[in-house]
Amino acid sequence: MARTNKLPESRWQRVLRSLLYGHNVNRDVKARARLGLAVVAFAGIYGVIAFRLVMFAMASNGHGGARTVPQDAVATARPDIIDRNGATIATDVKTPSLFGEPRKLIDIDDAEEQLTAELPDLDAKELHERLASKRGFVWLKREITPKQQQEIHRLGIPGIGFLTENKRVYPNDATVSQVIGLVNIDNQGIAGMEKWLDGQGLAALHLAGLATDRLQRPVQLSLDLRAQYALRDELIKAREKFQAKAAAGLILNVNSGEVIALVSEPDYNPNNPREANDPMRINRMTTGVFEMGSTFKCFTVAMALDAGKATLNSMFDASHPLQYGKFAIHDHDPKGRALSVSEIFTYSSNIGAARMALAVGVPAHQAFLRKMGQLDRLRTELPESAEPLVPKNWGELNTVTIAFGHGLSVAPLQAAMGVAAAVNGGLLIKPTFLKRSAEEAQKEAVRVLKPQTSRDMRYLLRLNAEKGTATHANVEGYYVGGKTGTAEKVVNGRYSKHKLLTDFMAVLPADKPQYLLLIMLDEPQPTPETHGFATAGWNAGPVAGKVIARIAPLLDIEPRFDLPKADQAILANATESR
Amino acid sequence: MRFLNMLVICTLVLAAAAVYKIKFDSTLQGARVGKLNNELRGERDAIAVLRAEWAKLDTPARIQGLAGRHLALQPVKPTQFDGLNHLPLRSPIGPAGGDPIAALAAPAATGSVAAPAKR
Repeated sequence: MARTNKLPESRWQRVLRSLLYGHNVNRDVKARARLGLAVVAFAGIYGVIAFRLVMFAMASNGHGGARTVPQDAVATARPDIIDRNGATIATDVKTPSLFGEPRKLIDIDDAEEQLTAELPDLDAKELHERLASKRGFVWLKREITPKQQQEIHRLGIPGIGFLTENKRVYPNDATVSQVIGLVNIDNQGIAGMEKWLDGQGLAALHLAGLATDRLQRPVQLSLDLRAQYALRDELIKAREKFQAKAAAGLILNVNSGEVIALVSEPDYNPNNPREANDPMRINRMTTGVFEMGSTFKCFTVAMALDAGKATLNSMFDASHPLQYGKFAIHDHDPKGRALSVSEIFTYSSNIGAARMALAVGVPAHQAFLRKMGQLDRLRTELPESAEPLVPKNWGELNTVTIAFGHGLSVAPLQAAMGVAAAVNGGLLIKPTFLKRSAEEAQKEAVRVLKPQTSRDMRYLLRLNAEKGTATHANVEGYYVGGKTGTAEKVVNGRYSKHKLLTDFMAVLPADKPQYLLLIMLDEPQPTPETHGFATAGWNAGPVAGKVIARIAPLLDIEPRFDLPKADQAILANATESR
Repeated sequence: MRFLNMLVICTLVLAAAAVYKIKFDSTLQGARVGKLNNELRGERDAIAVLRAEWAKLDTPARIQGLAGRHLALQPVKPTQFDGLNHLPLRSPIGPAGGDPIAALAAPAATGSVAAPAKR
């Protein structure tokens, strides 16, 4: 060590050493050099002190501000959530919480007595345990009223204090619950958009203790609170009327992919988190997967038209049930003759749809549904999503049944995305719960169908509302188009004739679609009014009609009465413009 | 030399006094800023509470309940909407009697447009 130290001695060090200690140096010079060294050392020390003083003086402002922060230490503020028109959906309100510092307590029993007298719902035994613990800080009761705070403050118990916390408030109670989700007592999102918010960096802010003030920008959702309420109101009525297990609905903007309203009844009140854990109250639009029934014929027909295997007037044989192995495919309302593609759609012929799918072939069918996003999990901002149930060995029989919506379970939101692509000109747009413009959406959109196919689909949907199964949903003036779907639910591995899932897809207006409405009822019961039927045309369809009549004015859709029938309005117009 | 020393000492005292005053003022200002900030926070919280209350009162469920109880209004039907292009044109000749209100009340000039015939 010593040697390595000696070796690289520089010239300056040598001069200094000889000046301070050298024998041959003048004493005067030596003294001056020593003095100089001392001066430099002291100057350095005082310099550091002066610098630190300046630093403290500069930083003192920050300390002054920090004095008020501990009061907010547990405040984990969240940004407000507003709907597309600016109405408040979720906001923060400050409430006091009661805490104790057991080490500072003088008389535990006395404190316990006084507190339980003031807060009767406090468990005396638990309170005693907490106060008797040796910890420095214990919560006694979260979220008390300002009046209680005053009273307890007046008691003047040492070692008891208050902290203001942010409490999340949902002014609309259950109306938006399935989208918005909820937070836990520490104001952390545990479901829905609230959880998504935490994933966007808010959780990190909370951890760092920086999210103390409400200066964060509000988050604007794509939902329209009024439409959401109207949809929910009608679904609650429908669920009562048809005694359905569940009712769900969705309004999707087909051009921007925005979800305007999403309801899944039964839902829960996010102000009362206990309800949210009930498995009956899941969001059926995104978290549940269902066989969608005949609405899937939209895909089958669009596929055959897009692949050039059929035109609107092509004929397919539907005179006999389609025998496949030991299975026979029947029609709900057999016509006993060959049907054109439009007839297959409006009569909702299972046999015809199956023959159309077979004409395209199994691999192409599979590829088409994958392209339409029906075979992969759809991920939106909502953290909850479900994987579609796709048959493992997809054979011809699967293609036959999937052609009319059995044997493939998808999330209804996913099916709505596909149908939206079929009517909006052929662009597959991923649904979103955040507000965005149609232009932004079109940038990310994928073209999946020819515009011509999309036009034919619009025509078919409108035709179906004029003279097919969707007539009950036709609201005069809004040029509605639609398709019913009735799926038999699987009970003990067999399709049940009495446990049905009915759904309805409506586009409005059909000549230039803006919105897609999806109504779904789980196990609706026949009523005298429906003549004992429980199929979609009798329940989901009329509900859709009622919803459309209510929401169309809210969504700025102009009623028009001078429109001709579908053949002229949609088909003829398009041929002109081409 | 002595004069210079006196001058330096005077300057020193003055400088110290000035620094003290600045420091004192800044402390006062700092306290005021803190207080204002606290007030701001309080006001903002109060606004948030009022907004939450407003949102609660403004919620569609409540409005529908109130409307159902107190108003005899019906939901608007599609036939009740009409476009501006269906407004009748103003008559090019002024009303003969010179009474515009009477002319307006006459059925020829006003009245709602008949609902289009159902198809």
